[in-house]
Amino acid sequence: MTLLNLITSASDDVRDQSLDRACEKLTGDELLAEADALDAFRRTGENLYHRVRALLFLYSIYRFHLPSRLEQVKSNGKPGAIPFKGYENLLGRRFEEAIDVFLQTQRSEGASDGISSALASVYQRLAFQTLADQVRRSVRSVRGNQWMFRMGHPADQPLRIRPELTRCDPVTGGYPILRERTPVRMDLTHCGWSDIFFLGMDYPEGARVLNISIDLAIHGHGKVPSPPVEASLRIIEEPVLRLTSVDLGCSAEISSLNEVFDFAKDYLGLLKAAVIASGLVPPGIEGSGQSLADLLGRVAGQGKGIELVSNVNNIPKGSRLAVSTNLLAALIGVCMRATGQASSLTGPLQEDERRIVLARALLGEWLGGSGGGWQDSGGVWPGMKLIQGTQAQEGDPEYGISRGRLMPTHKVLDLDDVPTDARRKLQESLVLVHGGMAQNVGPILEMVTEKYLLRSGPEWIARKQTHGVLEKILQALKTGDIPTIGAATTENFREPIQTIIPWASNLYTETLIEKISAEFGADFWGFWMLGGMAGGGMGFIFDPARKAEGQVRLQAIMTETKEVLASALPFAMEPVVYDFAINERGTWADLLVGKDALMPSGYYSFIIPQLLRKGRHELSPLRLVELDHFASACRDHPELHGMVHTLFDSIFPRSHAGGQDGQSLTELLQQIGFDRTAHEQIRGDLRAGRIGLAQNRLPVSSLIEDVEASDLTQYADISAATRELGVSALRNGEVAVVTLAAGAGSRWTQGAGVVKALHPFCKLGGRHRSFIETHLAKSRKTSRESGVSLPHIFTTSHFSHDPTERFLSHYDNYHYEGPLYLSQGRAIGLRMVPTVRDLRFAWEEMPQQVLDVQQQKVRESLRGALIQWAESTGEASDYTDNLPLQCLHPVGHWYEIPNLFRNGVLKSLLDERPQLQTLVLHNIDTVGMNVDAALLGHHLESRAGLSFEVITRRLEDRGGGLARVNGQPQLVEGLAMPREEDEFNLSYYNSNTCWIQIDALLEAFQLNRSDLGDAEKVNTAIRALAARMPTYITLKEVKKRWGHGQEDVFPVCQFEKLWVDMSKLSSIQTKYIAVPRQRGQQLKDPAQLDGWLRDGSATYLESLCEW
Amino acid sequence: MKVRKAVITAAGKSQRTLPLQTLVDRDGTSKSVLAILVGEIIAAGIEEIAVIVCPGDEEVYAAAAGSFASHMCFIAQREALGYGHAVHCAATFTGDDPFLLMVGDHLYLSQVEASCVAQLLESAAAEDCAVSAVQATHESKLPLYGAVGGHRVSGSDRLYQVEKVVEKPTPTEAEQKLIVPGLRAGNYLCFFGLHVLTAAVMRILGRQLIAGRADLSSALAEIARSERYLAHELKGRRHDIGLHYGLFSAQLALGLAGEDRDEVLSNIVELLARSHG
Repeated sequence: MTLLNLITSASDDVRDQSLDRACEKLTGDELLAEADALDAFRRTGENLYHRVRALLFLYSIYRFHLPSRLEQVKSNGKPGAIPFKGYENLLGRRFEEAIDVFLQTQRSEGASDGISSALASVYQRLAFQTLADQVRRSVRSVRGNQWMFRMGHPADQPLRIRPELTRCDPVTGGYPILRERTPVRMDLTHCGWSDIFFLGMDYPEGARVLNISIDLAIHGHGKVPSPPVEASLRIIEEPVLRLTSVDLGCSAEISSLNEVFDFAKDYLGLLKAAVIASGLVPPGIEGSGQSLADLLGRVAGQGKGIELVSNVNNIPKGSRLAVSTNLLAALIGVCMRATGQASSLTGPLQEDERRIVLARALLGEWLGGSGGGWQDSGGVWPGMKLIQGTQAQEGDPEYGISRGRLMPTHKVLDLDDVPTDARRKLQESLVLVHGGMAQNVGPILEMVTEKYLLRSGPEWIARKQTHGVLEKILQALKTGDIPTIGAATTENFREPIQTIIPWASNLYTETLIEKISAEFGADFWGFWMLGGMAGGGMGFIFDPARKAEGQVRLQAIMTETKEVLASALPFAMEPVVYDFAINERGTWADLLVGKDALMPSGYYSFIIPQLLRKGRHELSPLRLVELDHFASACRDHPELHGMVHTLFDSIFPRSHAGGQDGQSLTELLQQIGFDRTAHEQIRGDLRAGRIGLAQNRLPVSSLIEDVEASDLTQYADISAATRELGVSALRNGEVAVVTLAAGAGSRWTQGAGVVKALHPFCKLGGRHRSFIETHLAKSRKTSRESGVSLPHIFTTSHFSHDPTERFLSHYDNYHYEGPLYLSQGRAIGLRMVPTVRDLRFAWEEMPQQVLDVQQQKVRESLRGALIQWAESTGEASDYTDNLPLQCLHPVGHWYEIPNLFRNGVLKSLLDERPQLQTLVLHNIDTVGMNVDAALLGHHLESRAGLSFEVITRRLEDRGGGLARVNGQPQLVEGLAMPREEDEFNLSYYNSNTCWIQIDALLEAFQLNRSDLGDAEKVNTAIRALAARMPTYITLKEVKKRWGHGQEDVFPVCQFEKLWVDMSKLSSIQTKYIAVPRQRGQQLKDPAQLDGWLRDGSATYLESLCEW
Repeated sequence: MKVRKAVITAAGKSQRTLPLQTLVDRDGTSKSVLAILVGEIIAAGIEEIAVIVCPGDEEVYAAAAGSFASHMCFIAQREALGYGHAVHCAATFTGDDPFLLMVGDHLYLSQVEASCVAQLLESAAAEDCAVSAVQATHESKLPLYGAVGGHRVSGSDRLYQVEKVVEKPTPTEAEQKLIVPGLRAGNYLCFFGLHVLTAAVMRILGRQLIAGRADLSSALAEIARSERYLAHELKGRRHDIGLHYGLFSAQLALGLAGEDRDEVLSNIVELLARSHG
């Protein structure tokens, strides 16, 4: 059977077969033949989903199946360079051209690991682009949305504000306020992510969720649950759009159409998306050059404008309750009602109106460059509902393109489906919490889609299992059997969810469940995961008799567990427990008139200080009336009690102490011994343009060539006798491991500031294991095999030292039997605001991954805002507007080895073990490395001072490699490449694992073992060699957290010196060894984990460990 | 269905003077708008015409009708209770008979020999049911008109079976409920201001009035549910003289369609030349 048959067969049984299984028996050449057939098919196939499946099949073949069978296919024996032209096409989203370039190379030079990785990447991107294009087309073609794309001139605007909103109140003089309040939604079943559009549109019968609208309050704050999101709209007498987000503390008066479409300029993107998606400023008018005032004049009356206010009542981001989608829906709802697009100005919406709000929310999310699942606007509907995918029928825009419709159908469950008693019981048992973690679920949604379309064996069975769980829960709801619901949601979490996505759970969640189970025993009925990942929104189901106790204990357990894991996992906020109630009426609008026409109280505490800064004469008569009105409301309305204090605090903010343990940045810098003079020197150089991203590069005249075969040794060529040398050195206790663990892993958590070394990144040996524990497990196994315990050193920084020490102490050093040292970093840098020159260089000069159209627009708008931020804050000024630890940076791993000299760790080690000869240095994320006897033997035999391990390059291995620079083999950092394309001529990538002969190294520093006690001599030696090492300027992303789980990411400038540059020194002999990928692979991004698990790397790692 | 009666509504506060405006008709003679309308009705074979006016306007209207006044009666709308009520004021006049309903502030210019009224009466007679004249209208004009949704009657290129009637729909609603296959994107069938209606409409309006407020569009929506009701896309244009420059446009259209076409054109050319000079 051909693989094509799995796509085109009329039989479900054939189509639902796993690709992995079908590929198992194919040889390398057969796989290539199948790939050719699939590529030809996807170029001509008319059915969208057939094409997408073919693309993902191709991705899977090139990513997972072909690389292990390369020795079976014809090739020229070279590792295989990736043509830069193809890479450029890939970045520019010219996927078809990229495929052609890569295939041409494969045909002419034979299949290789590198070209396979490039083809895998481009086929995968094209698959998702094809799906996204289809969703976008479907969103535009929903009836009720289409007209907005046709409207390009104010004179064509057919919407008018309803007259009820345009009449001033005769007594107060103010305009009425239309307020929409909307519950959020929770998904009681966790649907196995079946609400992803791509799934629902291909497999509508499998897309089913049980979605409940709920009101919330923070437990213990003495408030009853209320709809968490609200949107308010009123007419104003200026021809502008005045947008205010009370929850994000941001307001703007928009007077041009271009500003409306500038989503990332400020925090008002969601409001802007609502204004556009509701048709007030229809998407078709973007770029028309027309006047916003004319458009508003048409809608609201000449000279009039519209004020739109959003408010979220203390519900944090990442709650997995679709807060932002429901807020978007509320905003769209209020704009639609105001313009007559709903039959009723107040009260509930009709079913067809709710559906158009859903369609518009999808459009708004697409415009804003984000995207949720189709169940996310569930809060618009009342109570409990079953949301299901629907088969496309003739006449639907999707008919003939996808099996399912874009929009699902909603069946509101009545009292026969879920009696009142069952609803009450559910509320009496369920404790809803936000664990405090906020993570990007985007990669998970891609993984789910991919596995579904590939029908990956266990995942496909798991997907079917989720349907059974849903049925079980529906039955239990009918009878009010809450323990059964608890058992079902737990089963769902334990089995299908984690089978589909092992990354859905984490150490934090597992710890909470473990502790609650231990405390509550049989009275803990079940765990329930909300949304994409655990750790944020979660549910715990208790015997109602112990629910209150459960709420108290959960708060305490979450807080104490977070305390332990705060440096290991990305927490965005303090954990909270909610009170919740099922909202049986869905979204609801009220018209506030006369004295009741007030915005949410938070609006005034935000706006009034700004108004007070203006003179009375600058305020419009309407504003004066409003202030007067609000002042009297503060006296009369009990809910506004305390407003005066709040206002006072807003006008005169209290000073705050700064960072961790109340320590300010200045104090921290003093304590660490920050070198202000060197810092000022760097600032001066940066401002003068002597250093910078462009200056990192080697001279353009440098000749960069790929290395010759004779420049390095292949791992497979190392003889058994050589290996014996290594075994013997291990037995003699001549080796120690140095793990670089000082960094925050900016890419790992997008600058969240956790210690990457402590991140429990994967379940290994049945438990979540941190990087640090994994490395110790490998050292344990090596120690046991050699009979001599291996000393293990983790280098730390100001940032990672204390958390690592605490973590190791909490976990009792993971019971590591050998010597364990922390080598504390002694060098620290203070981050700076980047120069505009560097930002432009990074964003405009360097090749960039172009994003999907709308996301690209959002990104460009954001970059414009960040350039403004850099200019207004001061280029190359100190970056201080964040937690102190987020303002500091380690200064590159070059310093980590000299630090061993400085801080006495090496001396102690040599005192304890004088026979020590070799250190093996490696990155925290090179998880597959170990103290391999063959490599050690080879290193010793070669008599090199340094032996670097390299791997054959794949497309994703960016950042330099092994090259001949002007004829001399050395490692070149990516930052130093004179031309981007030079890197693509290199066959090997640096894994950064380096075998170091201690005495040769000391000699390069002009030191010897006995000098290690002489601090001054050591310092002088380090300074002298440091001066010969290049300083690289880099841009890193750093998160700033604020509000309720909100996060901003800023690019900041820092400098570093890198260990690879030791390979340039003539004073120490350097050799290179090509090692297998499983050994040299670095884990830089959590999105890599799934592929890493699937390609057998995790199994390989487990084979190196003893836990 | 033979139609012998017509009702012209002219009682709206803002439109009461519009039918009294004088224009030069296609034959080169000056006439009131009312006279032009009534002339077209009578020429199409209708003998009795009722005009709904504001109390006190009867005399000026009779004067404006000129020689046609003998075919007409004037009914005062005593209270300003909306358009549906205005139509219902003629309920006694129409009795159980079908009738032509026309608004007094529009002029209709046929593009064929038969006038717009004649085209509509002909289709009502042929199909033996209520028929409203419609015109494909761009969505930007939706706030001005009632609109219908439905499908083309097989074998006819201008008749539609009406399934939905919505007064001044938003484009959102129009796109969901009023799309008619065959029309250009963003165009809907909007009322032309001319209808041939059955007595059932008066009964529905009467019922609505007892319940509160009468509304012609919702009455027509009910008709669409209860009896055969068609829309006819006439070969002609309507001119709403109540719009900004509406009277001016109507006059231009009449002039360009009539005997004085050359004179009107040369006047326009001269004006254009001077405005540039």
